Amino acid sequence: MGRSFSRFDADDGAALAEARYAAIEALAQLAVDQDCDAVLVAGDVFDAQTVSDRTIRRVFNATSAFKGPWVMLPGNHDAALAESVWTRAGRLGAVPDNVHLALEPGVTVLAEQRLAILAAPLTQRHTYSDLTAAFDEWETPAGLLRIGLAHGSIQGVLPDEVDATNPIAPDRTQLAGLDYLALGDWHGTKQINERTWYSGTPEPERFRNNDAGYVLVVDLAEPGALPDVHRHDTARYRWYQWRETLSVPSDLDQLIARMQELPEASVLDLRLEGAITLEGHQHLNHGLSLAEARFRSVSCDRSGLQLEPTEEDIAALHADGYLGEAIEELRLRQGGDVSGPARDALAILASLLSSGTQEVTK
Amino acid sequence: MRLQRLRIEQVRQFRTPMALEELQPGINLIHGPNESGKSTLVRAIRAAFFERHRSKSVEDLRPWGDSAAAPTIELKFDHDGQQWQLTKSFLQRKRCDLVIDGRSFSGEDAEEKLAELLGFQLPKKGVSKAEHWGIPGLLWVEQGTGQDIEKAVEHAGDHLKSALNNLVGEVASSGGDDVIQAVEKQRAELLTATGKPRGEYQQLAAERDERQRDLAELATRIEQYRLHVDRLGLLSAEFDRANAERPWEDALRRMEQAREQFRQVESLQQQQLRAQDSLGQVRQNLDLLRQNQEQMQAQGTKLKQREAELQAARQRLAGEEARTPGLDKAVKDARADYEAATRVVEQARQQEIRTRLQQDVARLEDRYRTLRQNLDKASGFQQQLDQGRQQKQENRIDAEAVQRARTTRRQLDEETIRSQAIATRLSWQLEPGHTLQLNDSTLAGEGELRLLDEGQLTIPGVGRLGITPGGEDLASARRTLAHLEQTLSEHLRALGVAGVEEAEQRLARYQDGERQVRHTEDLLLSVAPHGLERLRRETGDTFTELQGCKAHLDGALETAGEQADHIPGLADAEHARKVAEQRVAEAEADRNRHETRVLTARQTCETANREWQQLSTELERSGNPQQLQEIAGTIAATQRREAELVKNLEEIESRIRQARPDLLQQDIQRYRQAAETQQAAQKNRERELRDIRVRLEAWGAEGLEEKFNESTAELEHLNRRYSELHRRAEALDLLLTILTDKRQALTRRLQAPLQKHLDHYLSVLFPEATLEVDEHLVPGRFRRGNDLGQMTELSFGAREQMGLISRLAYADLLKDAGRPTLIILDDTLVHSDTGRLDGMKRILFDAAQRHQILLFTCHPEKWQDLGVEPIDLETLKAQPLL
Repeated sequence: MGRSFSRFDADDGAALAEARYAAIEALAQLAVDQDCDAVLVAGDVFDAQTVSDRTIRRVFNATSAFKGPWVMLPGNHDAALAESVWTRAGRLGAVPDNVHLALEPGVTVLAEQRLAILAAPLTQRHTYSDLTAAFDEWETPAGLLRIGLAHGSIQGVLPDEVDATNPIAPDRTQLAGLDYLALGDWHGTKQINERTWYSGTPEPERFRNNDAGYVLVVDLAEPGALPDVHRHDTARYRWYQWRETLSVPSDLDQLIARMQELPEASVLDLRLEGAITLEGHQHLNHGLSLAEARFRSVSCDRSGLQLEPTEEDIAALHADGYLGEAIEELRLRQGGDVSGPARDALAILASLLSSGTQEVTK
Repeated sequence: MRLQRLRIEQVRQFRTPMALEELQPGINLIHGPNESGKSTLVRAIRAAFFERHRSKSVEDLRPWGDSAAAPTIELKFDHDGQQWQLTKSFLQRKRCDLVIDGRSFSGEDAEEKLAELLGFQLPKKGVSKAEHWGIPGLLWVEQGTGQDIEKAVEHAGDHLKSALNNLVGEVASSGGDDVIQAVEKQRAELLTATGKPRGEYQQLAAERDERQRDLAELATRIEQYRLHVDRLGLLSAEFDRANAERPWEDALRRMEQAREQFRQVESLQQQQLRAQDSLGQVRQNLDLLRQNQEQMQAQGTKLKQREAELQAARQRLAGEEARTPGLDKAVKDARADYEAATRVVEQARQQEIRTRLQQDVARLEDRYRTLRQNLDKASGFQQQLDQGRQQKQENRIDAEAVQRARTTRRQLDEETIRSQAIATRLSWQLEPGHTLQLNDSTLAGEGELRLLDEGQLTIPGVGRLGITPGGEDLASARRTLAHLEQTLSEHLRALGVAGVEEAEQRLARYQDGERQVRHTEDLLLSVAPHGLERLRRETGDTFTELQGCKAHLDGALETAGEQADHIPGLADAEHARKVAEQRVAEAEADRNRHETRVLTARQTCETANREWQQLSTELERSGNPQQLQEIAGTIAATQRREAELVKNLEEIESRIRQARPDLLQQDIQRYRQAAETQQAAQKNRERELRDIRVRLEAWGAEGLEEKFNESTAELEHLNRRYSELHRRAEALDLLLTILTDKRQALTRRLQAPLQKHLDHYLSVLFPEATLEVDEHLVPGRFRRGNDLGQMTELSFGAREQMGLISRLAYADLLKDAGRPTLIILDDTLVHSDTGRLDGMKRILFDAAQRHQILLFTCHPEKWQDLGVEPIDLETLKAQPLL
């Protein structure tokens, strides 16, 4: 929460931000529907420490549907520093009684739910030691489920580019005798072992396709029993990023057809390369214009796409005399060092000529 | 295009119909005087084409005062094999009818057809102006505007280019100029003419910069926030630890311990002070006792010392008194010596006076002798001098007169000798006893005479012989002789002498006397330079002085009496006297000093005696030795007491030193400061914690990072929009550049044929000249030989010629493009000289091979050699129209 979506138009960005509050509400509602005992949130609720008061209040307000206990863990973005978004929330009086903030390492006992939550909050922005190592030593009341709650990277499992900070041992459930270890930090849903899962973010916020937009409902019959984990779709918008090369006219037709198949709640990012005729260019513009009207957001990067007017194009534009020469020159320049302005100039000239043609036709 | 017929009616002065018929394909020369209607005909042709028939701005066509007039113009021409007939009426009857090969058009349709054919524009409203005239504006030259080609080309502009499109094939573009305009317009929304951003594009850059500044500021504040949070974490940990450990309490405890130790040291220091006081008193007492003892011991010593002093004084007195007689004798001797020396000095002085007087007498005697001798000599010399002067006086004679007499005498002698030579010589040897009588003289014996005068020789007894000397010379000689004799006797008389010899003697004596005077004067001067009288006086004076001196000397010798054998010089005597005087003074001084010493010694002796007596009496009175013994006992007791006290004090000092009171005081201060510092630090921490919390709460409430995110998003939007506009501006700029380049390239392709036609005509007028056509198809740069310049810089006449040449070149170009070319020239080339006019005629004739030309003029005589039949307007007007 508190993130802005800079790459989109202002209203699209606002809608995407809004969807994230809706995700919390959806999650609370799901907990009610699924008759859950508690909701565990494994870090990075807030994108930054200094978000506005309004954002803080709205986050906690969004939990209101589920009256059972929530346990929220500070992650690397909202670490439990001496002054943090959490202390501010406390001062604001925004935290409802049923929301437990695990600001210090330790065990939160939910006796009524027969749960002992072993929390390893981040109290610094980054740590280089495994904070869950302490779980091994912590005693919990007998008969209660031992549930670990942590934020960081399971060593040796996640891709290399993920930060090596905040490490977590992959066999922590075994070492600490946990019934289940709920993890945050990785944005997609990911199972580490039968007792260890990343739930991922409930609402996607990036194009990288890593199975975001889900929550996990975990059933644990009794201490020691294997968990029964179900994935629930909570995403309002799905994000798509396509890299396409156009070479023959049918490529464009296929692309437009694929776009038409996407659901309306989509965020689409296109990057086109290759070449396109003037006619194809108009066709593409038309298709994109339809898509913009349908989808949440469409962006299209055409800097790698060449305009290649055909003889028919030029004839259709009635570009006789020196206009024809100008078009030819621009085509040649498109292949040169500064292709961008030439391509744009060609597009402008084509649109001027075609609008002129349309006027004549009228 | 060929105009065949022009008919006008009710146009200005042509109230009745008038027609130009059978116009020729080449040149048509129409002439008439001023006001004959040439300009009206030209105006009529222009009105027929350019003015809308409905126009209300053609009042100038109306005949003067005719309100009901309907000016009508009929034109008949062919073009491209089609026959065109135009009838146009204005004002009262507005009509336009056009028949093209039997097809009829009327009104505006007809007017548009004409405009399309010739390439001009009809005015939207009002009278047709130069900018509407298009191609005819270029080919139809009004009076006096032939040189102004630039505007005409500009107005012809687009018509010209589209008319010429055929020439250059497919290169021209139908919609090109519209596209360029559209591109220019779109570019102008983003860029200024010079390519600088404007409007939204420009503003975006500014907004972007502003946003970036905002962001930088936010980033700084966020960084500060984070630093504060870190500080808060650190500080609260420190605060908690300090609160748990309370280090200042330990410091306070240790300070109390140090203070107790210091108090003990202080009590020791008081004991020390007391002991020091006692010691001081004991030592003071001891000093007093010792002083008493010393005083007593000193009295005895002093008596002995005074006795010794008395003895010494007595001895010194005796010694001094013993030396007195020696000194007295020395004084006496010295005085005797001095008196002797004084006497010697007096004798020496007398001796010296005598010697000087003797010397004076000798000197004066010597001088007197010399003067005496000189006086004797001088008296002799004076006598000689007087004799010399007398001799000189007695024999005074004029030396020159003597010379003259001597000369006359010599001449007389010479003349006598000469007369003897020529005289008759009479020689005789007579027998002894016999005499002859010559004149009055008697001749006897043997002899000879020279006779100059007649003579009578009487021989006694015999008779008388007359002798007459012959020759004239003789007579002359006789006269000369007589003259010279007379002169000589005159000279001698003047000199007062009898003969020359006497005169010579007197002169010799005179000169001798003079020599003697001179010699004697020199001698006299040598012995008596100041005269004899003075010499005599000096001699007398010297003698008197000598007598005085001798008397003095005699007196001195008498007084001297007996003399010592040896008398030293006065200087030596004076020296000896001074030495003696010095010795007397020294001896007397010695004696005086001695007397003082004796007196002093005597007094010292008396004083020492009195003092010794005094002290001796005193000591005898008091009982000194007993007291001395008592004091020695007291001193020993006091010294023991002192040693005890010193030992006690040392002990106390040692204890104080071991306790180190300075360090103890420092410890107290240190522990107190440590406690205070730690307490203050804790308080500071508390305050800083409070401050940071307050600040962080305030900053947190601002939602800095959320704001930062939002601002970043806005900046990215701005950047995106900016780069879109930037790309668009670049693209439009490029597009415009390319389009204008292409269009200019096209124009340049039209330049070549125009230049060809221009060169064709120009070579007739200026064989070596060139006139360049610029990219707007306007003739510009003119070059003739080395002259280079713009056409507008030429003279009016030359410009008009160039203008006409250019128009003809355009006509040729239009002809090539299949366009109609009618050329109308109204009184053109009036500023050309005959030579140029000839050239222009050749050019016009050449052009007339391709174009129809209507040439209006009021100077038909200038155009006679054009080879065409002129049309006289006056004649034409006189002919009634059928």
